[in-house]
Amino acid sequence: MTLLVPLVTGCWDRLEIEERAVVLGIGIDVPEAGTFEENQVTHRSDIPLKKSKRVHLTAQIAVPGRIPLGPGEGGGGGGGGGMQTVWVVEADGHTIEDAMNNMQQRVSSPLFFGHLRVIVISEEYARRGVQNLNDYFHRNPEVRRMNWLLVSKNSARELMKVSPKLERVPSLYLMTSLDQAVKMGKLPNLFLGYFWSSVAAKGREGTLPYVELQESGTLEIRGLALFRGDQMVGATLPIEILSYLGIEGVNQGGGLVFSQVPDVEDEEVIFSNSSRHSKIKVKIKNGIPHATIRVYMEGNLMEKSSDRFRLNSKMILSIEKQLQENAKKGYVRLLQKTQKYGSDIFGFGEYVRAFEPRYWNREIRTSENWQKMYRKMTFDIFVDINIRRIGMKGR
Amino acid sequence: MEYPRQITTLQTAAVLISTIIGVGVLSLPLFAVRSADAGAPLVTLIGIAIALASLLLLAKLQLRFKRQFFINYSEQIIGKWPARAFGVLVIGFFALLTSFTAREFGEVVITSVLKQTPLEVTVMVMLMLAAISTRNDISTFAYVHHFYLPVLVGPVLLIIALSLKNADVINLLPVWGNKPGGMLTGAITVAGLFQGSFILTTVMPAMRHPDKAVKSIFWAIMIAGGIYLLIVIAVVAVFGNEEVKNLLWPTLELAKTTSLPANILERLDAAFLAVWVTAVFTTLFATYYLTAHALSRLLGLKDHRLFSSALLPFVFVMAMLPQNIMQMYQIIQVVLRYGLLLTIGYPLLLLIVAVIRKKKGNDHEKPMEPSS
Repeated sequence: MTLLVPLVTGCWDRLEIEERAVVLGIGIDVPEAGTFEENQVTHRSDIPLKKSKRVHLTAQIAVPGRIPLGPGEGGGGGGGGGMQTVWVVEADGHTIEDAMNNMQQRVSSPLFFGHLRVIVISEEYARRGVQNLNDYFHRNPEVRRMNWLLVSKNSARELMKVSPKLERVPSLYLMTSLDQAVKMGKLPNLFLGYFWSSVAAKGREGTLPYVELQESGTLEIRGLALFRGDQMVGATLPIEILSYLGIEGVNQGGGLVFSQVPDVEDEEVIFSNSSRHSKIKVKIKNGIPHATIRVYMEGNLMEKSSDRFRLNSKMILSIEKQLQENAKKGYVRLLQKTQKYGSDIFGFGEYVRAFEPRYWNREIRTSENWQKMYRKMTFDIFVDINIRRIGMKGR
Repeated sequence: MEYPRQITTLQTAAVLISTIIGVGVLSLPLFAVRSADAGAPLVTLIGIAIALASLLLLAKLQLRFKRQFFINYSEQIIGKWPARAFGVLVIGFFALLTSFTAREFGEVVITSVLKQTPLEVTVMVMLMLAAISTRNDISTFAYVHHFYLPVLVGPVLLIIALSLKNADVINLLPVWGNKPGGMLTGAITVAGLFQGSFILTTVMPAMRHPDKAVKSIFWAIMIAGGIYLLIVIAVVAVFGNEEVKNLLWPTLELAKTTSLPANILERLDAAFLAVWVTAVFTTLFATYYLTAHALSRLLGLKDHRLFSSALLPFVFVMAMLPQNIMQMYQIIQVVLRYGLLLTIGYPLLLLIVAVIRKKKGNDHEKPMEPSS
């Protein structure tokens, strides 16, 4: 009987699915100079509003009936390729809600965010700060926490307009490329909710996938966007994603790295990682947090550059050593980079808060203090890499 | 006609559990985290301990007056008029608790699901449901709670288990939090969320073996308190304590973040809300029943059915009093904390006076007139 209650009262909220404008993806940009459209929808133009907060919004709205329900329906009825599955709408505003409202003025049906999958922000917007975005999407009950939030090197608008060949729905293409990267162990699972938790946490900073749209319309993951507070402060190289995954010990192995072969000039092998594991311990040394990071990895040899040398177990051991050295160097450089920006994306501060609460309560307490202290932090890194298999070739 | 003595130990436990698990589970982690950061689970544990102590106290008092209702035996202990004054306070408190439960329910539903529906409608529907159900006698009351129990406990445990996929133990450390100062206030608020368990005073006189009530209390606190604790642990471990402060209803957000494996359901908030509606109903039913029953006993009436409908307008109007959701939570927290004076302090006073004055109910004495 109680379960029927929502049904009874539901009459007020009845809204057929085709009467909703289902938003699948949102792109947020800083409007280009001179292009800002002042819509007097939420306010008259005489209210003083700061120019520095303006946003440009691009949304992908699903066109009812055009979205195929499964891969099996491909091309049926001659639809498919030619027909647009989504409608791309743009609007300007002083805040996100303002822009959404302006967009609503142009779209007949009420915008619905329950199926939103991807939010793309441009680098410029990310560098300006994402507090407004965090607030808006926290407040909206329809938005899920498992969404992807991406930082794009290009404008988010361009990314919203691509029409990829692999998926018929562009937003789903963006989502799938990232989901697959996570499954292949090439990207940490940095979904929206995790980003929010990191931004809120005092001893950790946020990080997001940093992508770039290629000329050909493909999406490339360029690295991780580093945040300090709510502002993007820098980005890593693509290879540094692997270093991040290693330090964090994300056990979804993946990622390939080159390694020189010791004692053989100008020849390389490629190592493919299959599992990772890491241990982080934080102690206070001379009043400064000191972390000991131990990374354990296993993997396989994928390729060698020529037949000039043969693999044997002794050589494998020396390649392992070389790999460990390379990895360690990579970790150190990534740590230095994040320290330079004061962006503790690994959450060492949380380790301090959890395991050295007295020190934390006495010295740190706020995230600003931790950002300063993180720059001084010292590290010991130990890497253990094992090559287990070499594929189906005998030598 | 005697007080029907057919309620089993299991049913008593069921009544307590489904009364305790109610509207409060949504904001419980927020209250706990606000007072002690990562120490939230510890705060919850202390709150649970307070609740357990208060229930044992009630049981001890009730065992002295086996077949009587507390409104009646309190008159024997501290005299007619003081007892009546306290009785009015207790009744008023539970009427208020009922109102705010309904109001909080309405606010959640309107914010998250039925945005166009007027608040008055959701609150009224829930209150009417409770009012109509209250027309039944105590055994039906116990049956209803018993019936809904598995529906409440099962899905909540499932959601917690699935959500732990994203959990990080480091968020739970240090166990005493980073600013242990506010712990007591937090624990008191958490204990306040257990106050529906005062319904024990209504159920115990109707039990087949009142001596076994202590056993039901332990079971009830173990299960309901365990669920409270697990919810807080899961929420803090998944979100981290600073993020929890950004969330008005962290438990609902947890359900939103959790998905069933193999993409069967990508977010569980709808499923969770359905369960939660049931949980709210059982809590509302209990506090409403308690209010109506106590009121009829205070006025010496045999039947509380009259009050089931007479109370409705008062409870409804009180539910409409808070002007906005922030004010509502402010009032609720105050009411919960001060309510403890009535639900723990008053029984304690009664017990002490009863022991000193050697007042004891007599089993062979003719019991008070039954209520139904």
